[in-house]
Amino acid sequence: MSTKFKGLVIAMLFTVLLAACSGNSGGSTAATSTGSSTADSGAPKDGGSLIIGVAADPVILNPLYAGDRVSLTIDQALYAPLFQVNNGKKTFYLAESLEPSADQLTYTLKLKKNLTWHDGQKLTADDVVFTINSILDEKQNSFLRAGFIINNKPVQVSKVDDLTVAFKLPQVSPAFEASLVQVSPIPKHIFEGETDLEKSSKNNNPVGSGPFKFKEYKTGEYVTLDRFDQYFGGKPHLDRVTYRIAKDANAANLALQNGEINVQYLDPRDVATIQATGNFDIQSYSEGRLAYLLFNEKSDTGVLAKKEVRQAIGYALNRQELIQTAYTSDQYADPAHSFETPDGLYQTNDVPTYDNDVEKAKQILAQQGISNLKLRMIVQSGNKVQEAVSLYVQQKLKEIGVDVELQNMDSTAFGQKFVDGKATDYELALSGYIMGYDPDAYRILFATGSSSNYTHYSNPQVDKLFEQGSGEGDTTKRAEIYKQLQTIIAEDAPIYPIAYTKTIVAISKNYGGLDQAVLKPVVIFEDLSKIYQKQ
Amino acid sequence: MRQMIIRRLLQTIPLLFFVSIVCFAMIKLAPGDPVLSFVTPNMHADDIERIRHNLGLDRPAYIQYLLWLKQLLQGDLGYSLVNHQPVLGQIIDRLPATAGLMGSAILIAVLLAIPLGLIAGANRNRWIDKIINLIAYIGISVPLFWLAILLIYIFAIKLSLLPSMGMRTIGEESIGDVLRHGILPCSVLAFGFLAGYVRYIRSSTIGQLKEDYVQIQYAFGSNKWTILFRHVIKHVLLPIITLLGMSMGDLVAGAIVTETVFSWPGIGSLGMTAVRGMDYPIIMGITLFSSLLLILGNLAADILYAIVDPRMKVKG
Repeated sequence: MSTKFKGLVIAMLFTVLLAACSGNSGGSTAATSTGSSTADSGAPKDGGSLIIGVAADPVILNPLYAGDRVSLTIDQALYAPLFQVNNGKKTFYLAESLEPSADQLTYTLKLKKNLTWHDGQKLTADDVVFTINSILDEKQNSFLRAGFIINNKPVQVSKVDDLTVAFKLPQVSPAFEASLVQVSPIPKHIFEGETDLEKSSKNNNPVGSGPFKFKEYKTGEYVTLDRFDQYFGGKPHLDRVTYRIAKDANAANLALQNGEINVQYLDPRDVATIQATGNFDIQSYSEGRLAYLLFNEKSDTGVLAKKEVRQAIGYALNRQELIQTAYTSDQYADPAHSFETPDGLYQTNDVPTYDNDVEKAKQILAQQGISNLKLRMIVQSGNKVQEAVSLYVQQKLKEIGVDVELQNMDSTAFGQKFVDGKATDYELALSGYIMGYDPDAYRILFATGSSSNYTHYSNPQVDKLFEQGSGEGDTTKRAEIYKQLQTIIAEDAPIYPIAYTKTIVAISKNYGGLDQAVLKPVVIFEDLSKIYQKQ
Repeated sequence: MRQMIIRRLLQTIPLLFFVSIVCFAMIKLAPGDPVLSFVTPNMHADDIERIRHNLGLDRPAYIQYLLWLKQLLQGDLGYSLVNHQPVLGQIIDRLPATAGLMGSAILIAVLLAIPLGLIAGANRNRWIDKIINLIAYIGISVPLFWLAILLIYIFAIKLSLLPSMGMRTIGEESIGDVLRHGILPCSVLAFGFLAGYVRYIRSSTIGQLKEDYVQIQYAFGSNKWTILFRHVIKHVLLPIITLLGMSMGDLVAGAIVTETVFSWPGIGSLGMTAVRGMDYPIIMGITLFSSLLLILGNLAADILYAIVDPRMKVKG
């Protein structure tokens, strides 16, 4: 290629690039015409439709198996839960009440009257019993099974009358409600006799009891649900809800601006662009998730087995800076001290924390006689948050004379190493968890030898307290136990809690009723029947 | 000729067998575990083990392969590990979207590439050749996902002429609607294919112009364009057959990136999801399908060659 020609190519490419850039900056004003907002006035109107952007195809539209975000989101509209809990407050859906007996070994669940499935059949205690027994059936592979096995014994469920179900627990277990909250009943008359519920073709045409009923699913394109007039919570406002599958985040944001999607998750980095259009309510809410730095106590060097060393690393880091690095703004993440998330029972952030004191960090290492400390940190390559944070950690630990070697690996390799209890070739990793609102759920993370104790933390006192907490029926005593646990674990520092992260959702200003619908982690709206279209 | 076809068809079987072994081995050697995509932190270890066992993933890799092969010989591609739906059904569901998109992109690319390549070759190193070359270089070097986003931005957001994503408007079933949705992804893919084809045709045109028959036509006083579009074109079309034969695999494998950006419900985006979830029955299904078409496409190209060009004697 001659040099003249090369020059031409470069010049052309530049014009294309420039056109793209200038287009971007001017874009916000031009696009506003499509969805200009009207004043929020008067009673909610009926009719209209809503399009929610989702990042993947739903795996399975059956609440016994939905573990992925998309299936859970769609199931929330298709299948009504028994009840839900938000910030400690219980809202009843299919259930009218849930009462423990005096000895707390039997729970009595009463259903609302005149409940119906989408196909018109009555929803009764039989459906609830069938659902729980299917979950307990080992052959059915339900995710939810573990919640109904208490101390290796199953919960026993039985029908009292058409509207009443009794649960018999093998021992006192306040965490039982947190398991039951995850259950949305499936219809017995549809699934009875199916040998494998997960593979059943009935899942392709789901019959639920939620505010919207299944209309059609076009693979790779969308799932459409229509209004269910007999919904027990009152006729939903919208005629139709569509979940549009948009796998590419950039393309999804363009579709949002174009009005082809009305509701969509946002990355903190995209907030400014979407906000500039003036067409969207941008809501951020806690998703009950903790982002943390993990200390692997069982690495082959064993350097992190000493809690003083873990504390020193904490002192070397600055939580505020970490949050800025990871989430661009502290608007989308609250500083975390406790292993428990703020939506959980008995959570307190008033626990010891080791943060932002480089001198102290150096002092501790000197006291311990540790010098030339080398740590290995595994990083998910391509994950922007992890990459940025790992560089920050590397730089900060250098200040206290600790050398961090970053090991980049793809997300599956990372995931496998992380959950492999025997991996000893790394000391640091970034991760996060969502454990639900009952603190008993955290036992598997911190009790000695538990299935998800990836830090290999072990403290007999902690084990004992978790054991006590799970069987303690007295609320005051139980609160005391978990407060104590949060303090001890914070002191021992098996993890460095970074932040309680938030979900950011953009909702077109054309829609109202957001407060009544309740924004909820993972599924976006708790009760979609309350959303209405303005105009 | 018939012998050759039969022999080639028989060769397909060990070839596919080989492809399936390599593909399976690569999936199994890659880090990751399909069960991880089901695991939530609150699950008990024995529940995870039970799921692994129920899916047959606790057996040695070669046993898993043999079981898969046994199933295949019975005409069954198995079930997805993730959504438990039959693999064949999922591929067939998505085949029309991908075949339609790739087919039209390849067709458009070829139809545009022939005149452009001929003109470029005939005017070697003149300005028109340089412009066509430039377009081809841009097509080769510009990442298609970037071009896709740019086109969405211009045509969907700024001009509001075309939809930005999907294959149809929700609830709408007309062909016109699908075509409208197809314009942008098809243009992006056609542009990508075009670049390669133009370079191919250009160089083969340059070669042809040196041939004796062209000189004779000139001597007879034929017009340059007549020579090009009546005589040279016939010879230039031959390599196109090979190119098309090699594109047959793409026709079913789809275009992972472009399909993903445009949320086109084709096999490419199915494949991407499967790779992420280590869903090997789906990955194997797609690989087998596209290898089969690639092999058959090449065979068809060779047969066509023999028919179109008498100089090519196929040896049996």
